[in-house]
Amino acid sequence: MRTQPLVEQMELMGCIQCGRCTGGCPLARKTALNIRSLIYDMLVAPEMDVHAHQELWDCTCCFTCVERCPKDVRPAELIIALRGEMVESGRIPETVGAALMGVFRQGNPSGIAREDRSAWVGDGPQPKAAQEGCELLYFVGCSPSYDPRLQTVPRTLARVFSQAGTDFGTLGTEENCCGSEVQRMGEAGLFEMLVEENGELIRRTGASRLVTTSPHCYTALKNEYALGKVEVLHYTQLLADLLAHGQLAFDREVPRIVTYHDPCFLGKHNQIYEEPRAVLNAIPGLQLVEMDRNRERSLCCEGGGGRMWAEGTNPEERLSAQRVEEAAATGADVLAVACPFCLLTLEDAVKVAGLEDQLRVMDVAELVADALDLPVTNQIGAPLARSTGPEREC
Amino acid sequence: MSECQFDPTIIAFLCNWCTYTGADLAGTSRIQYPPNVRIIRLMCSGSVDPTYVLKALLDGADGVLIGGCHPGDCHYESGNYKARRRIIALKEILQAAGYDEDRIWVRWISASEGQRFADTVTQMTQAMRDKGPNPLRREWEV
Amino acid sequence: MSLSRVGVYVCHCGTNIAANVDVARLAEFARSLPGAVLARDYPYMCSDRGQALIREDVSEQALDRVVVAACSPRMHEPTFRDAVRQAGLNPYMVEMANIREQCAWVHDDRARATEKATRLVASAVARAVLLEPLEERQVDVEPGVVVIGGGIAGLAATLTVAEAGYSAYLVERSGSLGGRVRELDRTYPTLDKVQVVLRELVSRVAAHPNVTILLRSSVTSVDGCVGDFTVEVKTRGANLGEGVDASRDSQTLVVGSVIVATGFDPFDPRRKPELGYGQYPSVITTLELEQRLAAGDLGDNGAAPRRVAFLQCVGSRDVQVGNPYCSRVCCMVVAKQARQLRGLMPDAEITVYYSDVRTFGKGAEEFYDETRAQGVLYRRASVSEIVRSQNRVRLVGEDTLLSRAIGVEVDLVVLATGMEAGADSASLSAMLRLQRSPDGFFLEAHPKLRPVDTATAGVYLAGCCQGPKGIADTIAHAKAAASSALIPLLRGSVQADAATAIVNPALCANCGLCVEECPYGAPALDPFRGVATVNALLCQGCGACAVVCPAKAISLQHATACQVLAQVDALMA
Ligand SMILES: Cc1cc2nc3c(=O)[nH]c(=O)nc-3n(C[C@H](O)[C@H](O)[C@H](O)COP(=O)(O)OP(=O)(O)OC[C@H]3O[C@@H](n4cnc5c(N)ncnc54)[C@H](O)[C@@H]3O)c2cc1C
Ligand code: SF4
Ligand code: SF4
Ligand code: SF4
Ligand code: SF4
Ligand code: FES
Repeated sequence: MRTQPLVEQMELMGCIQCGRCTGGCPLARKTALNIRSLIYDMLVAPEMDVHAHQELWDCTCCFTCVERCPKDVRPAELIIALRGEMVESGRIPETVGAALMGVFRQGNPSGIAREDRSAWVGDGPQPKAAQEGCELLYFVGCSPSYDPRLQTVPRTLARVFSQAGTDFGTLGTEENCCGSEVQRMGEAGLFEMLVEENGELIRRTGASRLVTTSPHCYTALKNEYALGKVEVLHYTQLLADLLAHGQLAFDREVPRIVTYHDPCFLGKHNQIYEEPRAVLNAIPGLQLVEMDRNRERSLCCEGGGGRMWAEGTNPEERLSAQRVEEAAATGADVLAVACPFCLLTLEDAVKVAGLEDQLRVMDVAELVADALDLPVTNQIGAPLARSTGPEREC
Repeated sequence: MSECQFDPTIIAFLCNWCTYTGADLAGTSRIQYPPNVRIIRLMCSGSVDPTYVLKALLDGADGVLIGGCHPGDCHYESGNYKARRRIIALKEILQAAGYDEDRIWVRWISASEGQRFADTVTQMTQAMRDKGPNPLRREWEV
Repeated sequence: MSLSRVGVYVCHCGTNIAANVDVARLAEFARSLPGAVLARDYPYMCSDRGQALIREDVSEQALDRVVVAACSPRMHEPTFRDAVRQAGLNPYMVEMANIREQCAWVHDDRARATEKATRLVASAVARAVLLEPLEERQVDVEPGVVVIGGGIAGLAATLTVAEAGYSAYLVERSGSLGGRVRELDRTYPTLDKVQVVLRELVSRVAAHPNVTILLRSSVTSVDGCVGDFTVEVKTRGANLGEGVDASRDSQTLVVGSVIVATGFDPFDPRRKPELGYGQYPSVITTLELEQRLAAGDLGDNGAAPRRVAFLQCVGSRDVQVGNPYCSRVCCMVVAKQARQLRGLMPDAEITVYYSDVRTFGKGAEEFYDETRAQGVLYRRASVSEIVRSQNRVRLVGEDTLLSRAIGVEVDLVVLATGMEAGADSASLSAMLRLQRSPDGFFLEAHPKLRPVDTATAGVYLAGCCQGPKGIADTIAHAKAAASSALIPLLRGSVQADAATAIVNPALCANCGLCVEECPYGAPALDPFRGVATVNALLCQGCGACAVVCPAKAISLQHATACQVLAQVDALMA
């Protein structure tokens, strides 16, 4: 591969080789991934063999490097572009290929049948079809739609939205993968197609607001789709807003000590730090304690950037394990998350560490369900036994 | 530049304190831009009389650029706001008369923004080239 | 008008213009222009010889107007006005065509640059033909200077003005003089005790009979122009309790020049939350260490740190926080402080984490060499984040020379925070009509040739308010500002710009629109004559009134509609 075009396109000449990208990169501490030295390579060498850099699949697109770079170089976007080169050549890890194919065929990276996309509703009330028009469009997302462990989250949210009196609807089985992970795995063509199709679908509902379960969907829909006047929100933002306007109130005490893990795609990507905390703080009896690394310094759980479908070059050492240790050290009994990927990776890590008796991983939505005394907590769809490998269904 | 390509002429009315000085900085920094712009130096963008702009267009200029200080930075407090108000009114009249008012650009460029000046001229030259010759020029020529 | 006799002079500017513009052809073209009686090209028009050429032609060829096609009028218009004045012409009978900045330097296609230059010269000649002589006014210069800001820059400027025999008013916002330097311990590269130097300077300033010091004071408005500024100063009462009217003590100073010396603000590292400043007590700034060193107490409660880390470039060279520039002093401040700590804690490990080391200036690189020789380690690793590690903190980053991620536990972290423009720069710039560069600091009139002047005649910049500087550079800058500010005072009078608005009473409809439009209250309706008149002393020459006048009765001299429209015609011919 010739380096010159990317050097120009990504403005790599702006790099001063300070190393704050690699220095902040959580993966650089455990694998060969070194984006700073890769940039230098590209600056000095006219040719590069991108396939010699399998560690590029380690990147979780956590955006720490982007957040830290003093020269606005956006190193993670270079990684995505380099993955794009690999995708173009067709030489990519099998699991990544399968995930992309799943999105292409069934509209979700696990390749589960499109017709089953509404399965998350379970025995709950069927939400209205957004195609018939609604004010608030709820974009559920792939993993929360299909993964039995995650389905509690949309189920709760659907109830909360109706309880708060919003006019909301979903796209049902017509909902498609948002493409956030597709984009980050380097499949720009497929992503563009999804943007076009979903964008059309979303605009046609006439909704003025769109709310997502996942920070990943949020990032794509908010920053990479041009949805014009449609206001895109993460559900924690919407809940914080409903609370602030008195449309939602918690009456049941949840006497728990909770620490909150900032998901990269909510925090570092979008600087949303306070709304999830506002929701938690509004729950009576709940005590929020902070980990040392919070907000901008939150440690990536290793779930993003396509990593749910690519195990990376060092699967033994897991950042989620380190994160769970940090959470346990606060003395909290709940580790709250606001992202489906974080929920899965951190829950696994709690099990591996044998901390199940001490620390429970819960989505903010699940705590909200407790505070509202909604009948949709973990009792329904008890977590299934899952493998931790890349073939995980979610 | 190929000869068959249309080569627009742009008249620029620049305020002495900001944009004119910015153009000087483009010069001292040797930033290259298309030679299609011809500058008239005025003390303040607030002294650009709409008739100057009309006259330039009637004389056949393909575009008119009015350059002043950033809002709040005018050497005479509020000349740039006055300019904006006047040029907006002029553009509305021209638009109502069916004339392409996008041939008139108002830009705030400070004394330290040499690059921005050069970029503006480059963009405007291209935009005017895309539009083709000012129709008023042809009318005059017959 | 056909009688006008214009001489056109095309300057080569060495090869600056001649290399990209065909100057001979341009002169030949100029000769054909209506009104032009001669045209010459010459290597350097601004040289003594070049100016003499104009003077000779004016008397021998009876020229009544002159066009110089050369550099920017912002550069040499005053030069050529002087030249024609000496030749007996009115100085407003000069027009310049800017063929250097607007042609030679920005268009490398020689043919097209030359073609454009011909249009610019035609425009200048068309305008020159319509120029009218204006009566020059001399304004007496008030023999005093207001210096805003009493840091090391303001002190040095004040003393220079006072020693030259003029009154200097030093307006300082806080309750004491010295600015940031008051908080420093020793200075590089000599390791002198700064307070000794500062005390001496302050006492010389305070003792000088020409100096008035106004502490706890700020400037609330500045009116007028070079030679005659009216500066309002408000002083907060010395021992005012709560609820007491703080605005009661105000005074008006009338001076010839103003020097701005308002300094800088240190970068607040809370804006880099990944560094944990404000969260971990062991993370401090260089300014805080400076205060601790000066107080002789490292704030470590006697538990001497075993490992100390300095982090460079915090808040500088960083577009994320909007500070793309290098703060210029922090590399040396770190070398200085590391050296001092080395002396105080011989057993500690002292490491400087850097991505570039910039030790320019006299004795600076040698100081850096000596700092390393004394056992301070420099590591090319720009720390990316700081996290807690039991009762210490851990630096997380990459050693870029080893290409290795590192995590180092340390007891004390010193952030070399950079400099930023003062928080009130925006209001000062509005009050003094100062421009600011994109970095927020005040903009000098020319980056090389006029480093202390501003776009506002009579207002000068001293010290860090113009950009980051060390003490030596600050004082040099301040003394230069004082010298420039003294020029109008030494001359005793300045030429007021004669290009003011004027009313043709025969056309004036007495509508008063110009009165409303003028920001300075210069035009007024004369109740007896029923027409508007302009107070030339108040008019600043912006030209806004002429645009609104429906009868075209009021016009701005030297920029009349006729002149501008003639330029448009010539440019489009
Ligand atoms: C940690 C640190 C260590 C340093 N060590 C060294 C060193 O060893 N050697 C060296 O050469 N340099 C050193 N410097 C640089 C030195 O501090 C500066 O060069 C110097 O302070 C610049 O002086 P100044 O007068 O321009 O600005 P300042 O020191 O900032 O003074 C400005 C003054 O203006 C006043 N002011 C501001 N706004 C207004 C207003 N609107 N009205 C009235 N008054 C106003 C302020 O109160 C202040 O008194 C160091 C800087 C730092 C941060
Ligand atoms: S996005 Fe995160 S994982 Fe990827 S290179 Fe940047 S810091 Fe490392
Ligand atoms: S942080 Fe930015 S400037 Fe520094 S090495 Fe990385 S890409 Fe380059
Ligand atoms: S002086 Fe040194 S530490 Fe300060 S910004 Fe410049 S390079 Fe960084
Ligand atoms: S030229 Fe400007 S300052 Fe002078 S009278 Fe007219 S509006 Fe007032
Ligand atoms: S002086 Fe520049 S716009 Fe008024």
